[in-house]
Amino acid sequence: MEQKQSYTVLVVDDNLLNLRLIEKALSKEGYRIFCADNGPDARALAQREKPDLILLDIEMPGESGFDVIRKLKDGSETNAIPVLFLTGVSEVDSKLKGFDLGAVDYITKPFHPLEVLARVRIHLKLSIATNSLIAVQAAKLRQLTEAQVSMLPTPADNPSARFSVYYKALEEAGGDFYDILNISENIKGYFVADFSGHDIKTSYLTASVKALLAQNCTPVYSPMESMKMINDVLVEIMPPGKYLTACYMHINRTTRKLTIINAGHPPVVCLPVNGEPFLIKTEGDILGMFKDAHFGSQILTVSPGDRFFIYSDGLVESAENKITWVNGADSLLPVYREIAGLPYEEAPEALIDHLFGKEGSPEDDIVVLCVEV
Amino acid sequence: MDFSDLALRLGIDKEEFKELAELFITTTRSDIKKIKNGVLGHSPADAAAASHSIKGAAGNLGFDEIFSLAGEMERQAKGGSLDNFDVYIRDLEKKVNALIG
Repeated sequence: MEQKQSYTVLVVDDNLLNLRLIEKALSKEGYRIFCADNGPDARALAQREKPDLILLDIEMPGESGFDVIRKLKDGSETNAIPVLFLTGVSEVDSKLKGFDLGAVDYITKPFHPLEVLARVRIHLKLSIATNSLIAVQAAKLRQLTEAQVSMLPTPADNPSARFSVYYKALEEAGGDFYDILNISENIKGYFVADFSGHDIKTSYLTASVKALLAQNCTPVYSPMESMKMINDVLVEIMPPGKYLTACYMHINRTTRKLTIINAGHPPVVCLPVNGEPFLIKTEGDILGMFKDAHFGSQILTVSPGDRFFIYSDGLVESAENKITWVNGADSLLPVYREIAGLPYEEAPEALIDHLFGKEGSPEDDIVVLCVEV
Repeated sequence: MDFSDLALRLGIDKEEFKELAELFITTTRSDIKKIKNGVLGHSPADAAAASHSIKGAAGNLGFDEIFSLAGEMERQAKGGSLDNFDVYIRDLEKKVNALIG
């Protein structure tokens, strides 16, 4: 099939002759031209046709070129379209104002059609180069997201761990992380962490933390020993100012003993098989910051069917509503009671739906891990 | 008037230039009417805007005399004066009519 790559240019000038002259010069070279002789029509055309470039006269009656460019730059669908403005040769203030408002270049009037053509070409080339750079970067970040997600174990791969999960990263390099550790047939570890920052460094650190968990969460070490050893290594390798809050829950389904190690993380929610939900509050230092960190610890005896929810602060915090997890976690307890009747596989999703609605958008990354004993 | 050189300078053929020149005459006559209304209504701003439009179009087509005259009218009107505009307008109309000949 024949493929045509035709670039579109919107020309805006209140003088019909100027419009016609530019239209003739550019259409001869294969460009598709849209013309407008006033600001409102120009904006409507820009919105509808999404031209590759706009040539905009500054001095127009009614809505001036400055008004038009200001409104185009405010619109999410038109703000990336390069704008070249047409201005008088001596109007320095006008040129500077045009640049301030986001124009990429100007053409002085009177203009020569071949100069217009040359400038249109150069700015389309620049625009194409910028767009392809953005596309390459976006593709790389998508690979990063895929790599991060591939590190996260799924319930289907770990049926004996009896867990379900909701995970959502707001940006390509998500700040939340979880892992499941198959320490033995009946002993499992559940780790949830929230890295400070959402930058690219974070995504590399998640790989390090995953490796450290695999090395140190073994039957030889107690849960507290495992976390302390991981902390000591992280203190050495974490970039300055970086840290993570984390919660490590260790369940021995044979002895029915559950241990929680908390490193500055929101409290785990316990939903007993016969009873009211409650928070397991344990205070402790964050992970990866202090050499002699002290972590909170709790040991509980559990029964089959008891459920535990480990989550990141995105579930219970809201910067918009000024809610921190210290008070946010308490206020959510009735919600856990409401979803108690659902199978544990559906609990995290139901919790998110309950809090944010089907179409809602959380303010931060979120991970919710539900574990059933 | 022979438009061959002007057409060549703009990189278009003579017929295309003739078409543009006709459009120029139409739009300029309309702008001259606006200048006259500006003078009658004592509105230098309106006269300046219409002069600006003529100046731009004339400059683009290479009609240098009209470009200079319209530029002077715009400069003066922007300064708030419409003195001698009756003379300017007559001169402008004469130059525009000469394009047809």
